[in-house]
Amino acid sequence: MSVVDRLLDGPAAELARAVRERQVTAVEVAENALARVRAAADRHGSYLSFADELALSQAAEVDRLVEHGENLPLAGVPLAVKDNIHVETLPSTAGSRILAGFVAAESATCVKRLVASGAVVVGKTNCDEFGMGSSNENSAYRPVKNPWDPERVPGGSSGGSAAAVAARSVPLAIGTDTGGSVRQPASLCGLVGWKPTYGRVSRYGLIAFASSLDQAGAFARTVEDAALAFREMAGEDPRDSTSLRTPVPDVLSRMRKGVEGLRVGLLLEAEAEGGLASDVRASFEATAEALRKAGGSIVEVSVPRVSMAVPVYYLVATAEASSNLARFDGIRYGARRGDGDLASIYTGTRSAGFGPEVKRRILLGTFALSAGYQDAYYGRAQRVRALLRRDFDEAFRKVDAILCPTSPETAFRFGAKTADPLQMYLADVFTVPASLAGLPALSVPSGLSSEGLPIGMQFIGPVDSEPVLFALARSVEESAGVSTLRPPDAL
Amino acid sequence: MKIDAALVSKVARLASLEISPEETEELSGQLTRIVEHFEELRTIPDEELADAPDPSPTPMRLDRVGAERDLGFAERNAPEFAHGHFVVPRVVSRND
Repeated sequence: MSVVDRLLDGPAAELARAVRERQVTAVEVAENALARVRAAADRHGSYLSFADELALSQAAEVDRLVEHGENLPLAGVPLAVKDNIHVETLPSTAGSRILAGFVAAESATCVKRLVASGAVVVGKTNCDEFGMGSSNENSAYRPVKNPWDPERVPGGSSGGSAAAVAARSVPLAIGTDTGGSVRQPASLCGLVGWKPTYGRVSRYGLIAFASSLDQAGAFARTVEDAALAFREMAGEDPRDSTSLRTPVPDVLSRMRKGVEGLRVGLLLEAEAEGGLASDVRASFEATAEALRKAGGSIVEVSVPRVSMAVPVYYLVATAEASSNLARFDGIRYGARRGDGDLASIYTGTRSAGFGPEVKRRILLGTFALSAGYQDAYYGRAQRVRALLRRDFDEAFRKVDAILCPTSPETAFRFGAKTADPLQMYLADVFTVPASLAGLPALSVPSGLSSEGLPIGMQFIGPVDSEPVLFALARSVEESAGVSTLRPPDAL
Repeated sequence: MKIDAALVSKVARLASLEISPEETEELSGQLTRIVEHFEELRTIPDEELADAPDPSPTPMRLDRVGAERDLGFAERNAPEFAHGHFVVPRVVSRND
């Protein structure tokens, strides 16, 4: 195994150190990673486009800066970007036919920040169309296979980003998380994945799904890499009016201080609401016990409206989607269909360009906002959302973070839930509450099931609690010892 | 609540989507099942909902002209583009 191969199999932080110390060049790393990206695309369908020219030019710039003594935290780290996040000169399809051929004019702020820190974009990753899905089976291009078992889904909607990191094509990838689209695939692919406090990472350059929920997040194989990505992505952006203006909390120093004295609440509703698989329940209990041994204090805590979170989420998110996706009308971009008058272009373009799940959600959202139904559905959902937020505020008077499984089950087989959309939605029960409340949350690998599939645990904290969440995740990483395991179908 | 075929068709028209009769049938069943599950929200008493804090308004950016963007980007991504404009079918005629 070459030095570059060994570095690409390991953590991003070590790879960046090797580039900074000039043991390897960023160009050597990029060339190797680009070959891996193609192999991962063939094997798992995890990529939709490749960034050879851009990657080699960014890598050459990293080498030049390193030579001039620049201390880049992510020097030469290959980065995969979900296809609903813009990268200058690369296609952005968001996994949809309606955006086939669209090329981004500018990079998203979070991408710009990572590139300024030394990251090198090597490809765009496959995803559920417009981020709508929990299995990546809603990509208009191809489904993504889970490197832990290619007969199973990687989760979604950022399934391509998760599979890309799990398969060792890149050490770091970014995705978007509207209701769990980073955390759930991280859990199903044995990775660390986080979503920030709402507003902590700019949404500028993300293709909008549900603006009051959408956030960018990252996937990594270690907690330290995930925290490093947070530090580099977070920060104020005048181009996103919802971007937070308060200082970014320091995650790396707090993370190393351990969990002694932290109060962790076990979500009381986890058992009743989740329909937990037995392996997941056992891992939940084992994680709580390990945290107790590491010095944390464990109590039970209730967030009663968690039981309402799936209906609230699917009414609010689809209502916002029906509005956001109105822009796809075949006039300014996308594959235009239909002739004659303007209305037939709108209808022809949208009917041919959107896939079944996107149409279903647009219809649900349009219904929830339509005259006669708005108060009973969308209006009521917004009120319950406010009550859920208050439930979380109450809970965080007693605990520093809440622990629950990320997903009630491990990776499922292709087609297992496609016939019944409601079943697919209900599996989001543990990830949507933090999204609705605008809270930071992360998933960390906590064990393997009897079938050898990864299990993930989620920590949810109050606004700006990312430092505590990464500290807790690091403790789980140390006690569970599964982060370093290689999936059987890795490259 | 039943989302029948007529309601699916009405909502599809509002959303500028054309749905075949088979799709309408299938969507009617799926959306009814989903919305019936969501009826759970109606079990919360109105007085509890009245107590819910109002959502804070979304902060807005100033609406002002920024740096001009190269139109080449718009042209490259547009289905039809001419003389610096997106081309659309005529919507107003001389007689209107």
